Amino acid sequence: MNKRITGGVAALALAALGFAMTPASAAVKTIDESACGTAGAFCVGLVTDVGKVDDKSFNQSSWEGAKAAAAKAGGFSKYIETLDPKDYASNIDLFAAKKYNVIVTVGFLMADATAAAAVKYPNIKFIGVDQFNGSTAANYSGLIFNEDKSGFIVGYLAGYLTRSGKTAAIAGGPDTIPPVRKFIEGFANGVAYAGKEQKKKLAKTSTVYYSGANAFNDPAWGATTAKQYLSQGYDVIFAAGGKTGNGGLAAIAKKKGAYCIGVDTDQWGTVPEAQPCLVSSAMKNLAAGTASLVAQAKDGSFKGGNFVGTVAAAPYHALASKVPAAVQKKVADVTAKVVAGTIPTGVKQ
Amino acid sequence: MAGKKFSRTWLTPVVAVLVAFAIGALLIYIQGADPLKAYQSLFSHAFGSWSGIAKTLGKATPLVLSGLAVTIGLRAGLFNIGVQGQLVTGAFAAAWAGYFIHGLPIYIHLPLALIFGITFGAGVGLIAGALKAYRGIHEVITTIMLNSIILALVDYLAGHVFQEPGQILARTPHILPSATIPKIFSLPSGFFFAILLAYGVWWVFQRTTSGFRLETVGRNKSAAWYAGISVKRAVLIAMAVGGGIAGLGGGIESLGVIGRFEPTFNTGLGFDGITIALLGRANPLGVIPGAILIGGMRGAAASMQFDAGVAPEIVDLILALVLFCVTAPFLAKWLKSTEVGAKITSGWGN
Amino acid sequence: MKKLLSFKWLLTLLLVAITGYFYSKDGVITSSVVSTALIFGLPLALAAMVGIMCERTGIVNIGIEGTLLFSAFVGFFTASATDSDFYGVVAAVIAGTASGVLLAFMSISWKMDQIIAGTIINILATGLTSFLYKQGHTAPTTSQIDIPWLSQIPFFGQVLFMHGPIVYIGLVLIFVLYIALFHTAWGLRSRAVGEHPGSADTAGVSVFKLRYLNVSIAGAVGGLAGAYLSLELVGSWDRGFTAGKGFTALALMIFGRWNPMGALAAAMFFGLTQAITNQLMFSQIVKIPDQFVNMLPYILTIVVLAISAGKVRPPAAEGQQYEKEQA
Repeated sequence: MNKRITGGVAALALAALGFAMTPASAAVKTIDESACGTAGAFCVGLVTDVGKVDDKSFNQSSWEGAKAAAAKAGGFSKYIETLDPKDYASNIDLFAAKKYNVIVTVGFLMADATAAAAVKYPNIKFIGVDQFNGSTAANYSGLIFNEDKSGFIVGYLAGYLTRSGKTAAIAGGPDTIPPVRKFIEGFANGVAYAGKEQKKKLAKTSTVYYSGANAFNDPAWGATTAKQYLSQGYDVIFAAGGKTGNGGLAAIAKKKGAYCIGVDTDQWGTVPEAQPCLVSSAMKNLAAGTASLVAQAKDGSFKGGNFVGTVAAAPYHALASKVPAAVQKKVADVTAKVVAGTIPTGVKQ
Repeated sequence: MAGKKFSRTWLTPVVAVLVAFAIGALLIYIQGADPLKAYQSLFSHAFGSWSGIAKTLGKATPLVLSGLAVTIGLRAGLFNIGVQGQLVTGAFAAAWAGYFIHGLPIYIHLPLALIFGITFGAGVGLIAGALKAYRGIHEVITTIMLNSIILALVDYLAGHVFQEPGQILARTPHILPSATIPKIFSLPSGFFFAILLAYGVWWVFQRTTSGFRLETVGRNKSAAWYAGISVKRAVLIAMAVGGGIAGLGGGIESLGVIGRFEPTFNTGLGFDGITIALLGRANPLGVIPGAILIGGMRGAAASMQFDAGVAPEIVDLILALVLFCVTAPFLAKWLKSTEVGAKITSGWGN
Repeated sequence: MKKLLSFKWLLTLLLVAITGYFYSKDGVITSSVVSTALIFGLPLALAAMVGIMCERTGIVNIGIEGTLLFSAFVGFFTASATDSDFYGVVAAVIAGTASGVLLAFMSISWKMDQIIAGTIINILATGLTSFLYKQGHTAPTTSQIDIPWLSQIPFFGQVLFMHGPIVYIGLVLIFVLYIALFHTAWGLRSRAVGEHPGSADTAGVSVFKLRYLNVSIAGAVGGLAGAYLSLELVGSWDRGFTAGKGFTALALMIFGRWNPMGALAAAMFFGLTQAITNQLMFSQIVKIPDQFVNMLPYILTIVVLAISAGKVRPPAAEGQQYEKEQA
């Protein structure tokens, strides 16, 4: 009797495993990896920050950019998903040992490890996404973004969209994470700017930070906090910060008439459940930035220092009809001015 | 006779690991990757080279200690889920002492910094212990709550109060050379220390009255009470010692591996400690192979993905299978081991 | 016991008075905070029921986290595949039940150490769901049902009668469990099995069957909690989605002294502190670092317990294997 149950359970478990388990192959083939290190071969490796390449956020966008650029150059690309921050250096070493031409490291936590690797491997080009590069190494380029500008632009949009005058920002993550803080503060200043321009009394943007063990990984907290805001009449909410923020977006989508704004990438595609409310996202063009640096490495124009990637508000998609043409034009104007720096965001760098 | 005893203790776990890896191979195959290539990569990177061994042992060090911290609790009838918090506190305190205190020679500075880690880790354990002993609050509640409190606290401390000057990230300055743990033949020396400590704890439980007292409290509180053993004292000691060992683990991470305190760099170690203590059947020596196994697999997961394209989650799945095969009775029965259905924990204590 | 009672009522009275005061000051915010407390607290309360159901019959369940994660996953992807929130919820409950049966199988039939059995469920659920997850799916979610007439009542309407269906089912379920556990023959037998399995057996109760039944039902309740998280509250699923709620629920189960009403109260208290914590940051009344504000729920839980204190005692036969005596 027991044996039969055991067999049954085992068979069921295996069936469940087999179902939906699809190849998670990390490689995209145009040339073979064995060619890496030979003349004419172009190999791009990417080391993620703790997390997966399908994180709907910066790991994913950076990988998409690197992959596309490598494919365009007829090269080979592959990634490693980091489990433990202490492995940053050894994960970089794995690519270096196979003589990859370019190694992309994702996330500001990897800045030290990348700078050290750039010294250790002078023949390899390093691209540090979200890393401010303070070194003089010619083979290391930091890809940085002005998150405050991106936040300011969508904040400006929010200032025009709000009917109740109450806007809010939910940060998945504490204020000690620089990109999070800059997005949030930029957003609040953008709202205030729009308020002043309209000569309308808008409440100061309410912000909430989340620290602790699950700062980025608690969608239920993000959703509940969003509901709390919604029930107090806040009608445009910026949800920034990993899975916590994504949870907030998904919850806002269920409230009629409320708008939500995503972060990092155009979340219309990555968080489809948010589409009913997602009017825009505070974008850093991670994919484009990574791709152009990889292309530079290929054509030889790569230089060290820092490369400032572009920021923008993501397209309105289906919600374009909800944003008056006049406002769309204003946002476009302000975007140009903020990017050029003629409108300062007022956020401490 | 001795041989028979040896096989009884060791055969089941070894076969269990083999069975788990066999099932794991099937999973890798279903995933569309080559299991042989994956395992070859795993073993050559974890155990096949000097640097691989160094990495495995380095990863195993905090795991031995966190496993030990959970084990001491289990022996005394306590379920210490707060090892993560205790470890992080120790990591912070040791790093602080490692950069803030100047002008000491290494043979004073390094032990002092480690003592900071131990003391603060023990302090966090003691909070839970005292709340249990004097106010009757269950350690499962307090340790879970303390984990959350501490993670927010160290984030604030490293991000605002003791932040590296000119730095935008939440992290302390780098520790001084005089507080850095040296390597022995490029192997992390903390590991040998952890092994010694595991033997020490084993010896205490095996040979001393203090160990016996803790264990008696763990088995049966009222019996301990009738035997004149102070239950309160035992709870305080078990939580403080466990917290101290976890704090030491954190301290070794800060002073030997990371070189500073950074809040995100110590994730998951405390929770792996629970798995390791259970794998080791709450035996202080049993945590060593478990920690090496988990340390090796976690350390080589990246190369397994690099070489064979296997998603790193496979490590967790194999781990669950190992734990299952070690504990499930069919294997032990088949191997005629005596440990069928052995009970290690006692629920939430009493 | 007397001391505890008076403290409990004092605290309740205090909370009611404070709520009343704030309601008179700002009705919108007060209603919002209290209803948020319920939203925060409900999944925790339901998850705590999983623990209570198991432990009252003598089975320790540390695998609640895994049950929540797995059932939320199955629920979301079933709803996505069938385009039906109802099937999603049903699938989540079935998945939860399956995890309960697995726990029962390991800990009752195979007499494995119960904490190990639960830990296996946790690791397995984490690894498996993370392995199988594919992004880019959406699923229909349960929609809010305003109870006619009742939802119009000021304050109570928003707090209690403007939620999704799983909130209502969950709340009713908790009351039902309480009554079943303490006022029915099944409950009496279950508790007897959890305290003195030997005597229960002698009295003709099948320890084996009852434990199997209760642990499986507990799994179903966990499935409902998982469905609430992925299909009602958030409307999506992501890796590590439950973020430790299963462990917090363990703490709340003990806080509530293995009593459904107690655990509900504990979860609501915890939810309330979370909602108040948020409100403090929303309104920026106090200028203290967010990290300290975020600690409040955890600190307050410890403080309240330290004041109320009193010894808690888990069911006596918990964690023990039961061997039928051979006559």
